[in-house]
Amino acid sequence: MLEQLSSGFVELRREEVLETIKMRIEKGEAPLSILDDARQGMILVGDQFQEGILFLAEMMLASEIFKESVAILKPYMDQSRPSKSKGKIILATLKGDIHDLGKNILSTLLEGQGFQVFDLGVDVEPTVVLEKAKEIEPDFIGFSALITTVFKYMRDAADLLEKEGLRDKIKLMVGGGVTNNTLKEHLNADFQTTDAMAGVAYCLKMMEERQHA
Amino acid sequence: MRSETMTSKERLECAVNLEKPDRVPISPLMNTSAAAKLVGKKYWEIADKGYYAHIETEIELFEKFGGWDGVALPLSPDIYRLGGLKVTTPTEQSPEIQILEEEFAKPEDYEIIAEKGMNDFIVNHLIERVYGKEFLGQLGHIYQDASRSSKKGKDEYTKRGAYFTFPTLLTHPFFKLSLTRSMVKFTEDLYYRPEMVENAIQTMTDELIAMGKMLYKKDNFLTMGLVEERAGGFFYPMRIFERFWWPFTKQIAEAFWADGIKIWFHLDTNWDKNIKYFKELPRGSAIIDLDGTTNIFAAKEQLRDHLCISSDIHPALMSLGKPEEMEAYCKRLIDEIGDDGGLILCTGCCLPVATKAENFRAMLNTGKTYQLSKPA
Repeated sequence: MLEQLSSGFVELRREEVLETIKMRIEKGEAPLSILDDARQGMILVGDQFQEGILFLAEMMLASEIFKESVAILKPYMDQSRPSKSKGKIILATLKGDIHDLGKNILSTLLEGQGFQVFDLGVDVEPTVVLEKAKEIEPDFIGFSALITTVFKYMRDAADLLEKEGLRDKIKLMVGGGVTNNTLKEHLNADFQTTDAMAGVAYCLKMMEERQHA
Repeated sequence: MRSETMTSKERLECAVNLEKPDRVPISPLMNTSAAAKLVGKKYWEIADKGYYAHIETEIELFEKFGGWDGVALPLSPDIYRLGGLKVTTPTEQSPEIQILEEEFAKPEDYEIIAEKGMNDFIVNHLIERVYGKEFLGQLGHIYQDASRSSKKGKDEYTKRGAYFTFPTLLTHPFFKLSLTRSMVKFTEDLYYRPEMVENAIQTMTDELIAMGKMLYKKDNFLTMGLVEERAGGFFYPMRIFERFWWPFTKQIAEAFWADGIKIWFHLDTNWDKNIKYFKELPRGSAIIDLDGTTNIFAAKEQLRDHLCISSDIHPALMSLGKPEEMEAYCKRLIDEIGDDGGLILCTGCCLPVATKAENFRAMLNTGKTYQLSKPA
């Protein structure tokens, strides 16, 4: 059952995956168990991406299937106990930038790995990020960018976090087509990538290190 | 320091033909919003003031920074609108034009596009969906304004010694469909309804060749610009690239090359896995424009003595770097990519809005002086 679902994600067999999930729900299987299997599928997708077998577009389609799977499971999951989160992350594309493709992929991949994702959307004020950070005390904050005018707001957000004494508790990540190491240094960020899966790997590694610290 | 011995036109032609010019030709891909900022204008006040306001701003920048070799006409909000793309209205907070990607085209539209072409689909279906019926009444005025302004702009640039590289950046059929369907939906189409996509791309390819040749013949430009930001290995596996992009691209390149026209491929995102395919094109038939994410030095080794490369200054370097870092990078490009000719010094994608004036100046100065300051 697990293998069928996992291979469905890897081979992008959308209809088959969704049908399988519906069938398992109808048979009375615990939704969290089905969700875990779906997550295993996404983990396999991530592994194959890192090995260069799958490409970003395929990861994106697998993410879409995962989102649809979660939508099917959600009404049933509300009645069962919540699964334990691997960590909390705030994602945002900051003020002036409306691009969200990379951010959305990262968001779904992280959810697939069991992270609790607070996606603030696009064109977000730095102060909104700060307020959310105060509220939920995330492990990570990730900013996505495809235009350079947003660098200023990334800096503002980083400064706000610093000023409020939150920066040391949070790993700051930046990603997107216009980001590189120069920007990482400019923001004193902890991580930069143009590869969503590398972002996931970083979050997993950091949480593992934190657990062993 | 030695003096220049070539005109901008000669210099660009020399590089494209893989010969060594007197110095590297410089052809930054402009962005009116960035140009406005660098000349002290507010782009959000210019954006909807007609096409010539864009050209005029870019000419102002050209003069303020002492000019360069290759120029092209700008992209304005109206130009995007003519293409059926929904764009943001530039504001003080967000001064850059950004495409608002939504699923404006539906799966059933592939058949219309395959039968009648993308241009017909844009005029008769897409624009109305994106902007409403009333916008159709403005099309004639926008076309006329763009046409009149382009001619005037071309004359003004020519007076200043610059050379027009291409009439406009045409959009590759693959990229155009991705923008009109939205990327996720288009990707679903590639995997779940491939024949429909393939048929539409073939019609669009034929259409693009016919339109491009008409534009080229009208004004006799150096090249034909063709933009593609998504088909590369950063997003798609080779089997998708080999089925939906490369065969059609070859058709386009070969059709233009038959008339002696070279394609200037504007390739954003990482194309490391795809560069080798371009070796199949005839020697000197194209220019490969990279945005700072493809490994340009590896690309050069694959395309050495085969195709010219235009490069590649990363937006973060232009926006956050120091002039000495810019100078060092440009020198490296000139030494390693342009050592045998075949290099045009260019921005990675277009000039970013956050560009520091001193960095842009360093790029231009290095391009203009580095080789001429060396012994012959």
